[in-house]
Amino acid sequence: MGEVIVVTSGKGGVGKTTTTANLGAGLAAHGHRVALVDADIGLRNLDVVLGLENRIVYDITDVTGGHCRLRQALIKDKRFEGLFLLPAAQTKDKTAVSPDQMKALCEELRQEFDYVIIDCPAGIEQGFRNAIAGADKAIVVTTPEVAAVRDADRIIGLLEASELRDPKLIINRIRPRMVRHGDMMSIEDIIDILAIDLLGVVPEDEAVVISTNRGEPVVQDERSRSGQAYRNIVRRIKGEQVPMMKLEEGGLMSRFLRRMMGLS
Amino acid sequence: MGRERLSCTGEMVDDNTVLIQRTLRSGQKIHYDGNVVIIGDVNPGAEVVATGNIIVMGAVRGVVHAGAGGNEKAMVLAFRLEPTQLRIAGHITRPPDGQDLKPEQPEIARIKNGVVTIEIYNGERQG
Repeated sequence: MGEVIVVTSGKGGVGKTTTTANLGAGLAAHGHRVALVDADIGLRNLDVVLGLENRIVYDITDVTGGHCRLRQALIKDKRFEGLFLLPAAQTKDKTAVSPDQMKALCEELRQEFDYVIIDCPAGIEQGFRNAIAGADKAIVVTTPEVAAVRDADRIIGLLEASELRDPKLIINRIRPRMVRHGDMMSIEDIIDILAIDLLGVVPEDEAVVISTNRGEPVVQDERSRSGQAYRNIVRRIKGEQVPMMKLEEGGLMSRFLRRMMGLS
Repeated sequence: MGRERLSCTGEMVDDNTVLIQRTLRSGQKIHYDGNVVIIGDVNPGAEVVATGNIIVMGAVRGVVHAGAGGNEKAMVLAFRLEPTQLRIAGHITRPPDGQDLKPEQPEIARIKNGVVTIEIYNGERQG
């Protein structure tokens, strides 16, 4: 039986879809069978980020509506053995799927896959409720901006209210130099407010923009910092103890490395 | 907490108190007719409204309103008092613009001589 993980944030544009794609690709690279579900009906993106847009025949609403079998709608990734995508519909809206249908869908997917990762839409309305309906675990993505952290806080409250306890945090697009100069929220500032476990920190990286536009997850880019960050996160999801990557020289991370290790 | 301890002037205050053992996150709101004690934080975007006193065993970063029914003797006490906005009875205050002072000890906010006054809380009752 696989695990169903929802990737959510509240605010748009913080990197939910990029994170979903990279975690999926990273887990598949470890030999797991992974299904990615794009729950952002009406604004589908995950297929584009994965470079699979031109293979879509059926989508999630065709499955929940009974127009096709789940297997027909799942698109096999072109690079990673074991990685599959269930795309969102582009011509419908969030009401095309109900939370109960999502639950049933997740149940069906977890029979066949080790990990089911759901890309949640921005917002806290029905799209969000659909996306979390069938999930056992949640990953909250935020960026070091006050508005993004505020929305992440709201989302964590809503997740807790929906019995999705202990969400894990990914801080995306951090710029160590700006943090050092006091121009950007630090990891500690963010953890201080959100008070949830940190799963990983992804530095701002041009390689992400390039890889996203090419439809190739950056996690497979051995040389990029962000790729390394995603590979570390993947190993932590698998249950390995991986120390936090040093974002730059000077021990910025050291204090909260200790926190991650549980020494505080 | 007994009635006497809560009442600085010796008058009876509302002894109706609720205990909240979690952090209030953005979008969450507590509205209570009485005193509120929170073991946790009040995050930005969260709101606590009480007709009595508010005590937060953590950081207050959201909006707190004590004495919401008009009780001018109500107070707000927090381990770290850095609210978005602080109201006591009909008085509305906010931190001064452009100052990013982080309190490092518990503080108490109450009305003194008609203005909301914030002082370091030293653990003793002061009139």
